[in-house]
Amino acid sequence: MSSHSSRNETVDLADGVDHQVAMVMDLNKCIGCQTCTIACKTNWTDSGGREYMYWNNVETKPGAGYPKDWEELGGGWDDEGEERTPGELPEQDDYGAPWDFNHEQIMYEGSDEPLRPMDDAADWAPNWDEDEGAGEYPNSYYFYLPRICNHCTHPSCVEACPRSALYKREEDGIVLVDQDRCRGYRYCVEGCPYKKVYYNAMKKKSEKCIFCYPRIEGEGPEGEVRGPACAEDCPPQLRMVGYLDDEDGPIHKLVNEYEVAVRLHPEFRTEPNVYYIPPFAPPTHTQAGESTDEEPPTHTQAGESTDEERIPREYLEELFGPQVHDALDTINRERERVRRGGESELMELLNSDRSEKYRLEVFNEA
Amino acid sequence: MKRNELLLVGVLATLIAGAAVLLPPIAEAQTESGVPVEYVDNTNGLETPTGSGWEEIQTATLPLSSAGADVPSANDVTVEQIQVKAVRTNSQIRIRMSWTDPTRDMSESSVREFDDNVAIQLPADGEEEPPIAMGSPENPVNIWYWSGSGNSEELLAGGPGTTTPVNESTLRTEQAYENGRWHVMFTRPLDPRGDARTTIPREATDLNIAFAVWNGSNMEVAGQKSASQWHRLAVSSGPPPYERFLWVVAGVMIVVTTLLTIEGIRRTGGE
Repeated sequence: MSSHSSRNETVDLADGVDHQVAMVMDLNKCIGCQTCTIACKTNWTDSGGREYMYWNNVETKPGAGYPKDWEELGGGWDDEGEERTPGELPEQDDYGAPWDFNHEQIMYEGSDEPLRPMDDAADWAPNWDEDEGAGEYPNSYYFYLPRICNHCTHPSCVEACPRSALYKREEDGIVLVDQDRCRGYRYCVEGCPYKKVYYNAMKKKSEKCIFCYPRIEGEGPEGEVRGPACAEDCPPQLRMVGYLDDEDGPIHKLVNEYEVAVRLHPEFRTEPNVYYIPPFAPPTHTQAGESTDEEPPTHTQAGESTDEERIPREYLEELFGPQVHDALDTINRERERVRRGGESELMELLNSDRSEKYRLEVFNEA
Repeated sequence: MKRNELLLVGVLATLIAGAAVLLPPIAEAQTESGVPVEYVDNTNGLETPTGSGWEEIQTATLPLSSAGADVPSANDVTVEQIQVKAVRTNSQIRIRMSWTDPTRDMSESSVREFDDNVAIQLPADGEEEPPIAMGSPENPVNIWYWSGSGNSEELLAGGPGTTTPVNESTLRTEQAYENGRWHVMFTRPLDPRGDARTTIPREATDLNIAFAVWNGSNMEVAGQKSASQWHRLAVSSGPPPYERFLWVVAGVMIVVTTLLTIEGIRRTGGE
């Protein structure tokens, strides 16, 4: 691993990688509209054995996710980050499969039944548990978690492949599957703890998010450099796209300087390059429906204040590791500063407009 | 020498000639662990993996064990032996492999589905024995590969993880599954199409050969396989048996003629 020095921190890049693309997603802005999911799907996975794949998906947390219970399937590295931890291949149905409906009975057998899924057909699908979340009324909670391939610095999918079909691109660290080398063994599917490599049964090869590399190379619409479709098409513009080692960019500041953008499941030790601004619960209310701006923000069913936060910190720590505490505390502190009339570079970064969210040409050769 | 003595010599000579033709291959099969490749004029009865002609062909039973590759669950394999029969004509070699597998796995249509496979490994060229695990860059191997979901491939490899399909494969495969056993037949012209592909010689020659089997329902794939060690592929020479028989008869006739001559001289000398 090589280190690039910066003002305050060092940026670790994978060996042999010049720069590392990265993305920061602000979970407080995600409305679960799935526009990113559809943008990705229409670009890359709408046919040819990819129908079940969502290189970008948005799942409700707490929830089983996509594929179902992916966090329980293993993969990644051991505690020292040296030995790979073999995982399990998901069941095909856990990705969700099209349901069988009673078309035959209605169309050809004269049934008067309404159109509906066949018995037991409708028992799982992507986002089956959408918006369920957890917690007790009136302070139940959930949030949306958009997920793509993390283009990890220490990718266990790359290590898992006995044919070296997966690799990190030298110029930007994007993790790709060489379709000529791949023979469909699926060690990468099992080895990725985020389950973001998919098996194409028609091609008998594995496929995955490519960080829309043709777009960032300027092969996108109108021949311009564009961010990945999932980011550019996001209505609330919750994603920033750039390079981790671009010291003047917002990603470097959020990740390395303010340390408010954290990794999902850092204990897998693959060192993801997609980072998240952790979620705050929306304003709470009493059972009578009255909003309150007070913090700490939760109430009992009787409307009494409590010291507990709506989204338990323990749960966020399960997802984002112990660094989530400092991240949330820093954001709280900076937000309070602004509320008191002060200025905060961090708050400005988190509320930047579209023109500042994409920095993809900083390392282009003159 | 009396007439009946001469008759005895003739009968003995015929027996020797017959034994010379028939016994050597049988003795060979009993004493060595290789795979004999019998010469046949044509492939009548050998057109399919379960054709009746295969019953007449000698069987080599070879033990298989985990290949011990550096992949997860490498030692979790299920197939313990394989039966191999092989013939050649003047233009092609045909190898039939049979093994017991209670599950017939012919699909890879979902992420946890793996098909059954069998493969043959041969040195790409040269006589030096390549490393058993997929050869090496200096000493590559050819892989003839069948998969239950319908593909057959000729591959070139120079070490683990390097298998690469060759262009314009001339390998054909057919398979049959009967009574819990796979029978898979590979057919390839003796002469390769292109460089770095194994030539099957027309004269009597020993080649190295190894086998591997994957049980799809046990999720066996890549290096998680039952593999053999190197064995001898004993390619027999081409002359049809009647030519060999004529040569033996000629030899016996020389011996008989010599004996008769000696006897004649002895009698002449004795009078």
